[in-house]
Amino acid sequence: MRVVSQTVGTDELLLALASPEQVAALSELADNPEFSAVSREAAAYPRLPLHADAEAVLRFHPDIVLCADFSRAELQSQLRKSHVRLIVFDRYYTIEDAFANLRLLGKEIGAEAKADAVIADCRRRLAFLEQRLRGVRSAHVIAPSVYGPIPGADTTFQDLCDHAGAENLAATLGHLRGHSQPPAEQMLTWPVDYVVIGGHRTAASLDPLKALPPYAYMEVIKAGRAVLLKPYLLSCISFHRIEGYEMLAHALHPEAFR
Amino acid sequence: MLSIRQARLVLPLGILLVGLLFIVSLGVGDMPLGPGQIVRGLLRKDPLAATVVWQMRLPRVCVAMLVGSALAAAGMVMQAYFRNSLASPDLLGVSSGGAVGAVIAIASGLAALSLWSLPLFSLAGAFAATGAVLILAKRGASTERLLLAGVALNALLGAITAFVLSRYTGVFDRNSQILFWLMGGLEDRMWMHVLIAAPIPLAAVALLPLRRQIDLLSLGEQEARSLGLDVRLLRRRLLVLSTCLTATATAVAGLIGFVGLVVPHILRLLVGPEHRRLLPLCLVFGGGFVLACDLVCHTSGGLRLGTVTAFVGGPFFLWLLRRHP
Amino acid sequence: MAAPQTSLKALELRGISVPGRLSEVTLSLERGVVAGLIGPNGSGKSTLLQAAAGLLAATGSVLWQNRPLETIPSLERGRCTAWVPQESHFEFGFPVRSVVAQGRYAHGDDSRGIEAAMEAMKLTSLAQRPVNRLSGGERHRVLLARALATAAPLQLWDEPLASLDVRHVLEVVSLARRLAAGGATVIMSLHDLRIANRLDIAVVILDGRIRALGPPREVLTPALLQAVFGVKAVTAPGMTLELP
Repeated sequence: MRVVSQTVGTDELLLALASPEQVAALSELADNPEFSAVSREAAAYPRLPLHADAEAVLRFHPDIVLCADFSRAELQSQLRKSHVRLIVFDRYYTIEDAFANLRLLGKEIGAEAKADAVIADCRRRLAFLEQRLRGVRSAHVIAPSVYGPIPGADTTFQDLCDHAGAENLAATLGHLRGHSQPPAEQMLTWPVDYVVIGGHRTAASLDPLKALPPYAYMEVIKAGRAVLLKPYLLSCISFHRIEGYEMLAHALHPEAFR
Repeated sequence: MLSIRQARLVLPLGILLVGLLFIVSLGVGDMPLGPGQIVRGLLRKDPLAATVVWQMRLPRVCVAMLVGSALAAAGMVMQAYFRNSLASPDLLGVSSGGAVGAVIAIASGLAALSLWSLPLFSLAGAFAATGAVLILAKRGASTERLLLAGVALNALLGAITAFVLSRYTGVFDRNSQILFWLMGGLEDRMWMHVLIAAPIPLAAVALLPLRRQIDLLSLGEQEARSLGLDVRLLRRRLLVLSTCLTATATAVAGLIGFVGLVVPHILRLLVGPEHRRLLPLCLVFGGGFVLACDLVCHTSGGLRLGTVTAFVGGPFFLWLLRRHP
Repeated sequence: MAAPQTSLKALELRGISVPGRLSEVTLSLERGVVAGLIGPNGSGKSTLLQAAAGLLAATGSVLWQNRPLETIPSLERGRCTAWVPQESHFEFGFPVRSVVAQGRYAHGDDSRGIEAAMEAMKLTSLAQRPVNRLSGGERHRVLLARALATAAPLQLWDEPLASLDVRHVLEVVSLARRLAAGGATVIMSLHDLRIANRLDIAVVILDGRIRALGPPREVLTPALLQAVFGVKAVTAPGMTLELP
């Protein structure tokens, strides 16, 4: 059974459950550490070209193709016509959605046992987190952006905050939904404890913000209170987001984990 | 057209209007500040208001006025240069070149590393484009050749921008940043942008002594030369100055259309084509127009500046064409 | 014995060539002369006038008042010569007076002679009218008035009589005479041979070459007219038109 994965989220699912021979090709961003939680593993597998069309996918002779509801409608339609089994993932917002996707894929490629094992491990980690964070005062955070829109409610970042003992001020004070332009002037008054940034070195990640209003005038930036997450964690929709929950929780509430 | 007496009033009225817009703009922003607070902010008595007013609103308003003045003046120059009242600052590919520079800066990630990258790349792109047009049209080029070279270059640069965009569709952040820039906007303008826009008043001042010569040029090149005008020198100067104006405006505010087309055209209909009067009016009303459009952006909850200028300028222009066959 | 004086030629063209349009054109004209430039369509009349005005890149040399063109700076050229094109499209609506005043650009934009020029071309009542709202004939008069305003000693007019009615034609010719009487040199290209007959000099051009130059009575012979225009000239008693 050969499987081609067309999006980063499905790459992560596939590599978690499939045996190496089953992986025919991964998405073009699979080996990009900015977006993929499995970039190191993915390097060993072939990848689709940029803007892959149906032919580029079919070239790998897949039996199953994994894509998301945001994949191009024309591509989905072409693939259906070619009689491969097309699996479209359209729910990926919560961690439960992520588990459901694991089970779904597990059933398709005969890896149900593996899927159950992964889910069990994730639940164990979640339970541990929940227990440690019980009663902890939520830290006030935002995820700033150099060019404008920041994540509000209904985003992967919001999900991270919900599981790491953090309150996303963009949602609670700014009333933002999705990625939106924040009220730059009002942000000056928000009591932000930490900014959460994707990056590898604090200085390099903070520097651009230090010159940009309104961040330049916010106490949190001046004091350098930043939590750095691996970039892909800010947009992760698979079960790997638990890594994000853990990293953020540890950074915001170190005392809860001693 | 207005009578001579009425025409004389237009400049002081314009200055008054722009002054009012300036004050109103200082009062507009997502942080509700009353007039008293704004004054205290201006006087630096209230630290929060001072930050908002001095670091966020004032730079934005200054950039708006500078950009508007620049584009209107550049449009006026282009209309005289090409002897066509439908000419605009982007005819010779200056803004497209600026777009390519900016898009490359954003897509390559350089724009995220330093705040200077984006405007400087945009400036470089704009000047490179103008240089390319001049080379394409060869020395001593007629206006027709220049126009055609501009058309060709605009097409080419548009293709390059589209290419860069297509390479980066996977990268959500940069993609939307590119699109936002291409639609023009004054969000998060800082004093550094005002600094980058500093050549604008210099270029405007350099245009002032050329007004009479521009009059002559606008009625015919050969005729102007026979009347004693050094046409070659004037065309060179006008090209350099209008490129500076347009390139700088594009570098600090993205692509903003219609200002350079509509403002000089309307003013010419009101007060006549003599550039002695037209240039100062373009500078004042151009700035005012962009300020007004930016106010609309604020109150509309998210419309881009380039969109507003097009929404206002486009239909107005169509209406004008209907009135004046 | 006094050394022979080189006479001051108002205009001298030596071997002027423009590829495809003019070939080795050589002529000289004295001051105080009204010359008519005649030739069939496409013979190079406009090109010759443009070359004489220094507006075209041409091989050969052009001299104004015995001075080579290259030695005269731009601004001064505006004082030396006035050129009236055959057609002028005015894109912008400058008032008539403003356009005529442009003739004074090379004189530091003073206002000398503007009113007189407008009066001479009967434009005083149209002073504030935008030029792009004028009829063809009115536009032509504006161009002429602007040329007059320059007070330039060398006047090069390309088909100035084309869209004028018979009265205005005679007035323009009479105006040219007055200028010549004051020491200027006027060269105008024209089609009406009866008018050409009444000017001081006729310059006949065919296929980019000068065929004849001299007083019309000597030059405009039936033989020449036949050769140049392909028409048979029959002198017959007829109507002559004069100003009152």
